Amino acid sequence: MISQFKHVKIKGISVVVPQKEINIYDEAEYYDNSIKKIDRMRKMVGFYKRRVVEDDTTASDLAIQAAKQLIQDMNIDINSIDSLVYVNQRPDFKQPATSFYIHNKLGLSSKCSVLDIHHGCPGWMYGLWTASSMIESKSCKRILLLVGDTTSADMDLSNRISAPVFGDGGCATLLEFNESEWNSYFDISTFSDGFEAIMTPAGGTRLPLNIKNIDNDFNKKLLKPIKTKAGHETTLFSGYMDGLAVFDFTINKVPESIKKLMEFAKVTEQDIDKLMLHQANKQIVQAVGQSAGFSLDKVPYDAFENYGNNTMCSIPTNLTYLYTNKMDSKKKFICSGFGNGLAVVSGYLEIDKNIYLSGVKNYKKPADYVSKEEYLEYWIKKLEG
Amino acid sequence: MKKEEFLVELEDVLQREEACNESDLLDEYEEWDSLSKMAVMAFFDKNFGVKITLQKLEEVKTVSDLISLAGDNIDD
Repeated sequence: MISQFKHVKIKGISVVVPQKEINIYDEAEYYDNSIKKIDRMRKMVGFYKRRVVEDDTTASDLAIQAAKQLIQDMNIDINSIDSLVYVNQRPDFKQPATSFYIHNKLGLSSKCSVLDIHHGCPGWMYGLWTASSMIESKSCKRILLLVGDTTSADMDLSNRISAPVFGDGGCATLLEFNESEWNSYFDISTFSDGFEAIMTPAGGTRLPLNIKNIDNDFNKKLLKPIKTKAGHETTLFSGYMDGLAVFDFTINKVPESIKKLMEFAKVTEQDIDKLMLHQANKQIVQAVGQSAGFSLDKVPYDAFENYGNNTMCSIPTNLTYLYTNKMDSKKKFICSGFGNGLAVVSGYLEIDKNIYLSGVKNYKKPADYVSKEEYLEYWIKKLEG
Repeated sequence: MKKEEFLVELEDVLQREEACNESDLLDEYEEWDSLSKMAVMAFFDKNFGVKITLQKLEEVKTVSDLISLAGDNIDD
């Protein structure tokens, strides 16, 4: 489907990444200690540095810091926020929605609605589309859109297909109703026949651990490591990705969506400052960019090399990395988020030169940090009374 | 593109240090991994406007088979 919005403006974007950095050159043990092999990976796919969470840091922790940073730096009256939208695929609890927890942590008003949206890599784009719909309909004037992901948390380091790709991050975006015309366009395509191509099969209700009887055969089988064709051990609780199938989908469907969107928005490559693609990896970014008819200098992959593919945060990470303190004029971007679902969400976005961009900031444990162990103790005591 | 040019390009696409020959079996290349397959798909798309499906690529045995996927785009 294709949508057009005429009165929605992005006012600010704030990005937070974990402090811990992993450099691919420090992982030579996985490449037969061959620097030549690592150089090949760097050149072909852009593997270099990525940021990963430590301890018990959750996606919402990163997103909350990004939100606090944005609220403080933009001097936002928190009572003016009409809705909090949190896009994630790693909720803090089984229930309620994590956005209630975030609403509480940020001290938002009781008049502010909350909404969790479950999406992966296209999540920021999906969130922008949802928030834009809510604003264009005049239900809301000001929306705080948060996204966050901690893919590294359940990644096996020996899985060389996925582990070096993914980083973690959190992002806050402020969207507002704009009286005068301010255009944006979106194209959304869904290819659910590929839903197994990127997936974490266990941990939900389809393949749950039996908690009524922990020591049973089903649980043992579910937890037993599986030796994959690629040679690493994994379980169904880790993310699975069919890399080649995803690549196939990406280089065919993403350019198609971008071309459709540009035709609808009546813009050409010359009108666009940058094609901001989801930072899947360098190879995918360049292949999609070329296929969509863009010259490669307009298709950056800086965020991938410096922070890894932090799923739904990757487009805003790239944007803030490249443009913080560098917005000399209004910019026109084509952005496209794609991945699990499978789905593609492309958007034509105009960014005002006065937008607030935080730069890519490091996460710091907050003063009210509670460890997993402390939180467990808290609940045991609460129930025991 | 001339066949000789393609063979040199392929060496670069696969990030391989030895020359590629038409009769070479791709499965015998250490570099013939999923990354290389993706790079080949992107190369065909960019240079020849030919979209190779994953299935087609899995059926390819030799460098010569790969060349034939480019059709008229590679000549002697």
